Amino acid sequence: MKHIKIRTRTFLQGGIHPPENKSVTYEHSIENLPLPKKAIIPLSQHLGKPALPVVKKGDTVSEGQLIGKKDGNYSSHVHSSITGKVTDIGPYYTASNVKSNCIVIQLEGEIKRMNADKPDWSNLSREQILQRISEAGVVGMGGAAFPTDVKLNVPSDKKVDFFIVNGAECEPYLTCDYRLMMEKPEEIVEGIQIIKKLLNVKKVFFGVELNKRPALEHIAEHLREKDNIELIALKVKYPQGGEKQLIKAILNKEVPSGGLPFDVGAVVSNVATINAVRDAVLFQKPVIERVVTVTGRIVKNPGNYKIRIGTPLSDVIADTGLTEEPAKIILGGPMMGPSVVSLDTPVTKGTSGILFLSEKEEKRVRYNAYRSCIHCAKCLMVCPVSLNPCMLSLQGEFETYDQMTRYDIMDCIECGCCNYVCPSFRPIVQFIKLGKSFLKKKG
Amino acid sequence: MSRWNELTKGIIKENPIFFIMLGLCPTLAVSTKVIYGIGMGIAATFVLIGSNIFISLIRNFIPDKIRIPCYIVVIATFVTIVDYILNAYVQPLHKALGIYIPLIVVNCIILGRAEAYAGQNTVLNSILDAIGMGIGFTLAITLIALIREILGSGTITLQMLGYGWVWEVPVKPMTIMVLPPGALLTIGILMGIINHFKQKEK
Amino acid sequence: MLKTSISPHIHSPQNIEYAMRNVLIAMVPALLASVYFFGVRALWLEIISILTAILAETLMQLLLRKPVTVSDGSAAITGLLVAFNMPPNIPFYVPVVATALGIIVVKQLFGGLGHNIFNPALVGRVFVMFAWLPEMTTWNVPLHPDWIRHFNLFHINLDSITSATPLAVNKLQGMSALVSQFGSKTQLYLQSFLGNTGGCIGETSELAILIGAFYLFSRKVIWPTVPFVYIITVAVLTALMGQDPLFHILSGGLFLGAFFMATDYVTTPMTLSGSLVYAVGLGLLTVILRLKSGLPEGVSFSILLMNGLTPLIDKLIRVRTYGKQSKRGRDHE
Ligand code: SF4
Ligand code: SF4
Repeated sequence: MKHIKIRTRTFLQGGIHPPENKSVTYEHSIENLPLPKKAIIPLSQHLGKPALPVVKKGDTVSEGQLIGKKDGNYSSHVHSSITGKVTDIGPYYTASNVKSNCIVIQLEGEIKRMNADKPDWSNLSREQILQRISEAGVVGMGGAAFPTDVKLNVPSDKKVDFFIVNGAECEPYLTCDYRLMMEKPEEIVEGIQIIKKLLNVKKVFFGVELNKRPALEHIAEHLREKDNIELIALKVKYPQGGEKQLIKAILNKEVPSGGLPFDVGAVVSNVATINAVRDAVLFQKPVIERVVTVTGRIVKNPGNYKIRIGTPLSDVIADTGLTEEPAKIILGGPMMGPSVVSLDTPVTKGTSGILFLSEKEEKRVRYNAYRSCIHCAKCLMVCPVSLNPCMLSLQGEFETYDQMTRYDIMDCIECGCCNYVCPSFRPIVQFIKLGKSFLKKKG
Repeated sequence: MSRWNELTKGIIKENPIFFIMLGLCPTLAVSTKVIYGIGMGIAATFVLIGSNIFISLIRNFIPDKIRIPCYIVVIATFVTIVDYILNAYVQPLHKALGIYIPLIVVNCIILGRAEAYAGQNTVLNSILDAIGMGIGFTLAITLIALIREILGSGTITLQMLGYGWVWEVPVKPMTIMVLPPGALLTIGILMGIINHFKQKEK
Repeated sequence: MLKTSISPHIHSPQNIEYAMRNVLIAMVPALLASVYFFGVRALWLEIISILTAILAETLMQLLLRKPVTVSDGSAAITGLLVAFNMPPNIPFYVPVVATALGIIVVKQLFGGLGHNIFNPALVGRVFVMFAWLPEMTTWNVPLHPDWIRHFNLFHINLDSITSATPLAVNKLQGMSALVSQFGSKTQLYLQSFLGNTGGCIGETSELAILIGAFYLFSRKVIWPTVPFVYIITVAVLTALMGQDPLFHILSGGLFLGAFFMATDYVTTPMTLSGSLVYAVGLGLLTVILRLKSGLPEGVSFSILLMNGLTPLIDKLIRVRTYGKQSKRGRDHE
């Protein structure tokens, strides 16, 4: 391990240390969850326009078949995750708690393993690689679900010097990226090589938070000198996995307000996305499943499961079991993940975890009984982008949304740090989201 | 009925101090004893009535552009009368009110009524308006003075030139209440209470 | 039934009650010191003030038809702070009026916790200071404590003699008179630090206040910036004016004010640079009031004045947002 330099870094402004709770699933290696009997596959699992359905009700589809075609550039393909028959195309509850169009597929017929091509990517051209990524419908799997082919297709006038691998996984409870790093280091390194070629960058940084030290060491063993990948140990701090904070921590550069990472010459990708990119480029395998951390104190068999896209939560519960009625179910981590209203809500490409909270845990957060701001300034101290969440929440409360631009509302990354520390339980992020949507509508 | 209305509106509904918030400077300054409040109220009422009558009489002859100077001349005349009368017959009150008597000239209530009412209405209505406003002002300033005197000096003074009474109230006097901050506090709290009830009515 | 809410779904356990409870705990050493030096009468003053505060808050919230939130402890803090700022031999109605005024007018009429512009305890104190000046400026030191009488719960009256506070002596008769009164300079510092001097019941013992303050720092309830910058400013400025800096920081209400009143959440600026401006301003005003005005002490007034400036400081002093070039908020428009 002599050739590996490990430097410890972090970003300075703001951040919090919520209880990690990663131990629940820390040691559970990735297992397959049985196929769902019914898959509800949303046509919009990504940022941008929803995909256009290309199958009809009654069609039989096979695993990995294209069922939703991307609509324009900022969109992504959607594939069937199981073999079966399309029984419905219509609105269902998805993670955002509004009904959006989904394709429902009933499990039916024979399951064919997909044929694996000979994995040789070295003579693929840049366009071919992008094409494969796009066809596989790869989106950012850390949560934001930005179409990966768009992200990696850097405009020719921008110069990218660094590729940053995001293994921070700063959200409490989640361990799916950690398990991927532990179990598929070679695959991830291979994925990094592909992206490195695609972006034509010299230098790769691989950032992992220190609470995942075994992963750090494990990856180090699989790195060779000529890979030119520098491992960075990050001090544990939420929200280090946010692109902007990761760039600040590793490169000590700030993405300009309203800009994208490549404005400072960097591209950031999450390890799960890199794994999906590798599968897409090597085997032309579409994204039909992903590793999801199923966790919470009330889960009988918590762990990291490979789950088919579209698996409804009820199926997940049937397989993992619960010891008590959940009061709240969260898709993703507890800091940024949305809570769902229906047990039919499907797992999507961006779902990194499913967190079940009991009545007792749920009771600790009471936003509906929030109190006046006491100007304690805790929110200012933890905001990683140095905003004034206190002012923003006051303006949200008085519905003076126009004023919010004066406090740089659009720069908020909605990380929830301010909300987490607020002693008055003010729903600051909600006020900010309201303000943002108001200002967007106003244009 | 409407005449009656002209008279009473100044007492509560459009009380110059609590509702229109005019004439606060003499209110803050002289409301340290009840008798000073009443004296100030009467002096201002006299000026108000006199100036309202005259202004409404000559309202059709005053050119619009120089009406304010004209009003001031009329008001100043009456203020001078009051000043001399007080100085001649009620020396202690004159001493206590001091500069605030000449300052009635620029008292916003009087100028405000002249501008807003007497300049546009008949003599009879103007008299009624002046009486109503005068009573309202006197009541308000007396109320403030009552509170301030009780808390600040522990007395209620209704004595002038040896006539009348002074009551002792069993309160430990708080010096701050007879100082200007006390007046601001009193007016603020009274106004808060009044606004509270006003909002409730709506 | 699944419940939903916006993210985040976990919350730090440090809510308002946590902060207020810790502040109350941090005030216990000063409370004990006050009882030790000024007898049971001090305890009674404190109890009465706290009860008044709680009662006033409850009644006011019932009257205004608001949820009753006395249990968060902020009213109790106000009451205790008022008591700490009272001379030992004050009649009992004085802290009652001060507390009631602070809670009813300054806190509840402005909208309750979080909406008050000024520190309620300080306004209460300044009000009674001007209402009953002679009572508020008569200082007593206990006379050879007879410990049994001293701590007898029902021995409300203090066996004491009237004496001026060290700051007043310094102002009127100069430092040398003070040194001769205490014997030596070291004695003067030591006694001031321990709290064995004349003064308000809660402010004399710097030691007790420091213990409480460090507890608060360790609990991350308050941050040390404002108090230390304040105290250092006072030390530097008094030294520049040719006074004894150590004496000035150890006497009067500086420590109580710096650690417990200048760190009040509601009435202090929020940004770090803002609080620096605030703290330096406090130091400046305190020194000016102490040395150049007719009053021997200026901590309460400086804090109140700076409270009034806080909204302005918060408005003018901004932090640069991540990814922005300038500190101004509008440059993306
Ligand atoms: S949610 Fe927005 S305002 Fe709150 S801490 Fe995060 S970035 Fe700052
Ligand atoms: S953390 Fe909450 S109470 Fe404190 S300043 Fe921010 S919004 Fe106000």
